[in-house]
Amino acid sequence: MAGATSALFILDIKGRCLISRNYRGDVTSVQAERFFTKLLEKEGDVESQGPVRYDDGVTYMFIQHNNVYLMTASRQNCNAASLILFLYNVVDVFRCYFEELEEESIRDNFVVVYELLDEMMDFGYPQYTDANILSEFIKTDAYRMEVTQRPPMALTNAVSWRSEGIYYSSNEVFLDVVESVNILVNSNGQIIRSDVMGAIKMRTYLSGMPECKLGLNDRVLLEAQGGTTKGKAIDMDDIKFHQCVRLARFDSDRTISFIPPDGSFDLMTYRISTQVKPLIWVEAQVVRHARSRVEIMVKARSQFKERSSANHVEIELPVPCDASNPNVRTSMGRAKYAPEKDALLWKIRTFPGNKEYMLAAELRLPSVTSEEAVSDRKAPIRVKFEIPYFTVSGIQVRFLKIIEKSGYQTLPWVRYLTVAGEYELRLI
Amino acid sequence: MAPPAQSHRSPSPSQPSGKGEVSDLKMQLRQLAGSRAPGTDDSKRELFKKVISYMTIGIDVSSVFSEMVMCSATSDIVLKKMCYLYVGNYARYNPDLSLLTINFLQRDCKDEDPMIRGLALRSLCTLRVANLVEYLVGPLGSGLKDGNSYVRMVAAVGVLKLYHISSSTCMDADFPVTLKHLMLNDPDAQVVANCLCALQEIWSLEATTSEEASREREVLLSKPVIYYLLNRIKEFSEWAQCIVLELVSKYVPTDSNEIFDIMNLLEDRLQHANGAVVLATVKVFLQLTLSLTDTHQQVYERIKAPLLTQVSSGSPEQSYAVLSHLHLLVMRAPILFSTDYKHFYCQYNEPFYVKKLKLEMLTAVANESNTYEIVTELCEYAANVDIPMARESIRAVGKIALQQYDVNAIVDRLLQFLEMEKDYVTAETLVLVKDLLRKYPQWSHDCIAVVGNISSKNVQEPKAKAALIWMLGEYAQDMQDAPYVLESLAENWDDEHSAEVRLHLLTAVLKCFVRRPPETQKALGAALAAGLSDFHQDVHDRALFYYRLLQYKVSVAEGVVNPPKQAVSVFADTQSSEIKDRIFDEFNSLAVVYQKPSYMFTDKEHRGPFAFSEELGNLSIGAESAENIVSAQRVDANDQDLLLSTSEKEESRGPSNNGSAYSAPSYDSSAPLVASHAQSELVSLDQTLPQAPQAIDDLLGLSFAVTPTPAASPPPLRLNAKAVLDPNTFQQKWRQLPVSISQEGSVTPQGVAALTTPQALLRHMQGHFIHCIASGGQAPNFKFFFFAQKAEESSTFLVECIINSSSCKAQIKIKADDQGTSHAFVALFQSALSSFGMS
Repeated sequence: MAGATSALFILDIKGRCLISRNYRGDVTSVQAERFFTKLLEKEGDVESQGPVRYDDGVTYMFIQHNNVYLMTASRQNCNAASLILFLYNVVDVFRCYFEELEEESIRDNFVVVYELLDEMMDFGYPQYTDANILSEFIKTDAYRMEVTQRPPMALTNAVSWRSEGIYYSSNEVFLDVVESVNILVNSNGQIIRSDVMGAIKMRTYLSGMPECKLGLNDRVLLEAQGGTTKGKAIDMDDIKFHQCVRLARFDSDRTISFIPPDGSFDLMTYRISTQVKPLIWVEAQVVRHARSRVEIMVKARSQFKERSSANHVEIELPVPCDASNPNVRTSMGRAKYAPEKDALLWKIRTFPGNKEYMLAAELRLPSVTSEEAVSDRKAPIRVKFEIPYFTVSGIQVRFLKIIEKSGYQTLPWVRYLTVAGEYELRLI
Repeated sequence: MAPPAQSHRSPSPSQPSGKGEVSDLKMQLRQLAGSRAPGTDDSKRELFKKVISYMTIGIDVSSVFSEMVMCSATSDIVLKKMCYLYVGNYARYNPDLSLLTINFLQRDCKDEDPMIRGLALRSLCTLRVANLVEYLVGPLGSGLKDGNSYVRMVAAVGVLKLYHISSSTCMDADFPVTLKHLMLNDPDAQVVANCLCALQEIWSLEATTSEEASREREVLLSKPVIYYLLNRIKEFSEWAQCIVLELVSKYVPTDSNEIFDIMNLLEDRLQHANGAVVLATVKVFLQLTLSLTDTHQQVYERIKAPLLTQVSSGSPEQSYAVLSHLHLLVMRAPILFSTDYKHFYCQYNEPFYVKKLKLEMLTAVANESNTYEIVTELCEYAANVDIPMARESIRAVGKIALQQYDVNAIVDRLLQFLEMEKDYVTAETLVLVKDLLRKYPQWSHDCIAVVGNISSKNVQEPKAKAALIWMLGEYAQDMQDAPYVLESLAENWDDEHSAEVRLHLLTAVLKCFVRRPPETQKALGAALAAGLSDFHQDVHDRALFYYRLLQYKVSVAEGVVNPPKQAVSVFADTQSSEIKDRIFDEFNSLAVVYQKPSYMFTDKEHRGPFAFSEELGNLSIGAESAENIVSAQRVDANDQDLLLSTSEKEESRGPSNNGSAYSAPSYDSSAPLVASHAQSELVSLDQTLPQAPQAIDDLLGLSFAVTPTPAASPPPLRLNAKAVLDPNTFQQKWRQLPVSISQEGSVTPQGVAALTTPQALLRHMQGHFIHCIASGGQAPNFKFFFFAQKAEESSTFLVECIINSSSCKAQIKIKADDQGTSHAFVALFQSALSSFGMS
């Protein structure tokens, strides 16, 4: 049985307790604070790091968000994975309420924070962590509220994620298909790992209780329908849906049907582990003249069709930590030395498909070095980019049907985007 | 009428203020208490907010208690909430004052607004004041019957709170019965979930004293309740689903149809966006199919993809939690994830705790087909990234080598590490090379050549130094300057701060001395002299022991420090399979993250429901006593055999568990595990190596009368201790030769018990110079193939031994090159078996 949580703490960056809710009264905030400051003192010691720690009969689990830590304490054998997720959910809820979760927003909103903590967990058992539902009965601007606050409608509702009586004058749906590409290339230039994490994000502004049906070019579905595949069909490895999707329906005939929550949410996420070609390939040559300078030649090539182009490309090139006085030339974009990262940041605003750009840099190395200082911190080259109107997997939204009993017309908007996720090339 | 406190400079909550401001607040609150003027509520809110802020930043505002209570007569819900908050915080320390609040809280429990009813009830229950419980019963009772689900939801948890304040009051009011009714009938899923939580806790805490309670606890696991909850699973919130699924995983279905029904129903939960739900579902699947071997394997296949996604998609903290679970699964079914090893490659930016787990995963999934890629990747980490990571990577490489896949390439890699000339790399590698040599002495030539070039001055870490010294002693003949290196170390005795290193030094010097006396004499003298005056008790004792041994007879000393050694085939696992199973039962809890069963890190009163306390008590006692035995053995081991004393602690821990690492848990007869088991056996045993029978048997803690079975007249047949036979020849011979003797025997219960780790038998037989060439099977049927060779000639005996542990029968078939001696061999074989508990 997943044990119950004893208390929840929000701590500042130095480990002082900003606010806490003691659900079961068997872990004091003094105890927690003492543990946490002890932990922070050992910061340099990587071995003692980890999000789940045990101290004096109490298990602490914590996550960091901006300049605050959220931490649970428990004396029971609780469910680690679920509590960590719960903490992330708490962060999401706070962000919905205060725009951003940080020390200041907590300090300015003690009362609301207390209210939220009380509703999200009762006596150590998670209750409601859906900001949509919570916002129905905990209002930040309660001062001006003349309407009486009702208990959550959703509780008595068959569809817990959507309340009744929502109305918009124009009914719109925005669908974002976002794929993030993870690539790992080893020092021989081989791709040792690549996968795609995709998400279909929705923003709905729909009245009433709309019934939605989404069609994708999912291979399994298309083949089941008798192979009427015109374009490309894709295989998705592992699909996860928002709780609103009728999973039984999906399992029987791969139809994605649902009543969406109001506002924005992730309808589904999926993973594709087929090998993908690196969309932006980077080759680097480093010549190191000991004690004088280091020369770096970099070639970046876009390996997608001309009609697409990558935006906000940022290539992070690691340089020795004792390098200085950079002298950089680029055939496109602008490169900046970022000593705090020990890297050159090469930024290219638009990078059209099938193009190749160069960068040449020279940095000075100190003529005197102490032996130990020469570290072999071989960081990888990291690349960030966004390619709009393009998905690396080729996933396509074939249709989005919305039916509501009042029969209104809706405007669905679909957008595709590919971004770089963990995109690492260990080439230098 | 005082104006609202506009003029008052509002102190920022971040600036703690003194007593003056608190009394100021008190004044203003008092003025507002009786006011009915419009706008009062607004100024009250301002003041309340200030009070709450003070309270939060730790300023004691308990002195305004009565004023707060006076002001609480309002219909404004925000004010009420703040007031409840204040009261909840201070009531426990002011039980007398809190009596004041009961009145207005009770009144609010009857408010027409369900929100206020719920909040008031929650605050009432969180006062945690024992002498006020009588006031709780009424509001709770009506709360449970409230028309609004919010109030019922709060009331259900309220009952649990009441139980923790005063269990008798809770039981007397018959609340559990009401909760049960509510759980089975309430239309609102969250009410149901909260009732379930409360009932689980109450019944399992009560179960220790009341039979009825433990019956009720069983009812929660009964078919109707489980089916009822399963049928409503989709209505529950994600967290409530986790709780229900956890309950379902404890349910014991009556037949396999039921199992499949439940799995079909829950299949779609594996696609839930919330990772906690996915993990909870995984647990249900795994637990349900424990009895169905094939399905259990299919379940592993099914859950693989969702789990791998969890690893790479979530936050690092989440990956950490999920990876811990994956690690547990991988240890149970390594073969399953062996093609997905790339998912466990480390990213540069990942925190160390994630990387470390990933390395453990890579080590666990390594097999013949992927070792090369994995080790290549690990070598990149060793050369590239930060120091702790490099160390872990090298250790991982070593562990893979000890799993005996593609040792050849790995040894080369390890030796390359030594050439990198980084102190920490060298240190880690030395420790590994030492372990490797203990397992594969045949590599000594290559390794020693490289190790010999390392200057002992560059090695500072105790473990590494100890390893280097061990190698100097062990391979004294092959290392030209071993005596001189040891001599200089012995001369600088006082600079050596680690007792472990000094102990090793003593032994190494003596080992070296028995091989190369003239050269080592000086070093030995220096070491013994220094050791005798050492302040560390163990070092002193060992020096004295060696000194007296040498005084007595050098050849005896040689026998002690340098006996013929048998290569270590499997390093002992640190955890018994019993503990591992226990952790598996606690899947999806902290037990998996800590890799310890929950009784090791929770207090008794905080153990979860369904952890049967009686059973736990026994088990923890059992575990303790086992630990005692183990530590006793460790002492023995240290004293008896230097081979083991040179090893790290964790390796020598629990020799009695030896081999259990690779044996499948009794109920999990998963095919891949057994297969790999048999394979490793084959590999390890066809490299026949020098034997050290007595030492090994004693270490095993198997207290059979190993002393060469004197009762039976000493067999005239002598066997070759270093017999060699490759599997192909064995097969050929087995096919060609006729069965010369076939016998049946029985096995004693002790023998059966010992057979839970077939390795024990193999080692035992090896002690009698009868070697195993292949073994396999799963409980209750085990099959072993043994062979032996005569000492003088190359005539071999082949044995097939089938043991059924449930019927306690053993069947032996013997084939021999020389039919004449086969009877003598049978006698020998049986005497060996009988000392194991078979006849």
